[in-house]
Amino acid sequence: MMTRADKVVVALAVTALPLLYNTFWGSSTQGDTVRIFMPGQPPALVSLDRDREVTVKGSLGPSTLQIKDGKVRFVSSPCRNKLCIHSGWLSRGGEFAACLPNRISIVVLAQEQRYDAINF
Amino acid sequence: MNQHPRLSGKPGRALRCTVLGIVMAAVTGCGHDQDLLHKSQLLAMGTLVDISIWTRDDGLAQRAIATVTQELNDAEHRWHAWRPSPLTEINSKIAAGQPATVDALTRDLIKKSQILASASDNLFNPTIGKLIEVWGFHTDDRPDVPPPAQDQIDALLANAPAMADLHIDGDHVTSTNRHVQLDFGGIAKGYAVDLAVDKIRKLGVRNAIVDAGGDLRAIGSHGDRPWRIGIRNPRGPGVIASLEARGDESIFTSGDYERYFIYKGKRYHHIIDPRTGYPSTGATSATVIHSDAATADAAATALIVAGPKKWRAVAKSMGLKYVMLVDSKGTVYMTPAMAKRIKFQIEPPPKVIVAQP
Repeated sequence: MMTRADKVVVALAVTALPLLYNTFWGSSTQGDTVRIFMPGQPPALVSLDRDREVTVKGSLGPSTLQIKDGKVRFVSSPCRNKLCIHSGWLSRGGEFAACLPNRISIVVLAQEQRYDAINF
Repeated sequence: MNQHPRLSGKPGRALRCTVLGIVMAAVTGCGHDQDLLHKSQLLAMGTLVDISIWTRDDGLAQRAIATVTQELNDAEHRWHAWRPSPLTEINSKIAAGQPATVDALTRDLIKKSQILASASDNLFNPTIGKLIEVWGFHTDDRPDVPPPAQDQIDALLANAPAMADLHIDGDHVTSTNRHVQLDFGGIAKGYAVDLAVDKIRKLGVRNAIVDAGGDLRAIGSHGDRPWRIGIRNPRGPGVIASLEARGDESIFTSGDYERYFIYKGKRYHHIIDPRTGYPSTGATSATVIHSDAATADAAATALIVAGPKKWRAVAKSMGLKYVMLVDSKGTVYMTPAMAKRIKFQIEPPPKVIVAQP
């Protein structure tokens, strides 16, 4: 059984995760790719440079992501609270949104994170 | 329920500890990594230089960053092609038909450039300073003036300056051609990166990247993974491909997008083909991996000039194993060794032609 204290700690931890992710992995630069985490499959990388809709299968059902003008957002989800949709557009490195009930989360990657240096 | 009596006694506390433990591990784990990577940026050699040192020794990292800064600033001062410098002094002497005094590093750079120019069939030709000047690339901020006239270019080409015109005798250099005007824009950055990396190695640095405006030498690794390098897409945003640096490698790319001007709607870039006197055509970028940054730098310059038709011959004569060339249509040409290491990062992947040098 979870006590009330447990619930508070879990809630805090879940709330803090995006912030921590952003602090330690994030950057304020424009992202170029979204990494999609989904249940039972390895994460998928999708480029943000082409406008499209991507539907991924979660544990409750399909969630749809929209990619437009280098940004990405959840547009449909079988979850109840639709927190993922309320997260709105993500475009900068480290920005993060999740649909915990459907076990789908997305994080925007910027080059600075994926590469130690860019050759040009 | 009672299969795990120790846990079932106080499930709440166990769960709290687990969650907190995961969060703390994430925080401290990342924090630790960040502490080992020391980064610094400076402006030198006309570009933004990024220094990354991976070490547990903060003091060593700071000394290494100071050393790289010093080396690159020295190189910029010594070989600046248009602001008054020891190099412009040498150029004045050559133009006057007099012997010029050279320091040991400049002498070594001249010798190295002679070997590389010869190996590249003079497609890497650091004696065409006059041509680069008339194109307006000997300024920090080019005024909006037309490109040079054809007869001006023809006259400069007829002078046929070459590295082979230079002769070194002790600490003096003389030229049999007064029209030689040294501009080490296609090699000085690489040479300076080599000097800097040699120095920080002697200090004890094992893991570092010295990235001089996108041209870099990487030694060691980023902790327990290799250094990851992205190669810029010459036509479009982001990265065209990525690769991992192994042990000690220099990765240099010459691109027609780096410096250019637009006059009456036409784009003119800064890499001048010494055969035509005009900005090179055919290739938009050339990438070379080599153990030595000076060679990688000169080779990337020679290859972008060589273009899709001649790159293999140049790669062969310069003894290059890893070459990637992108042409104006986006087709990628690679040596087999390079093809094994390149991972494309664009969708759809480009058309690729793999060929032995």
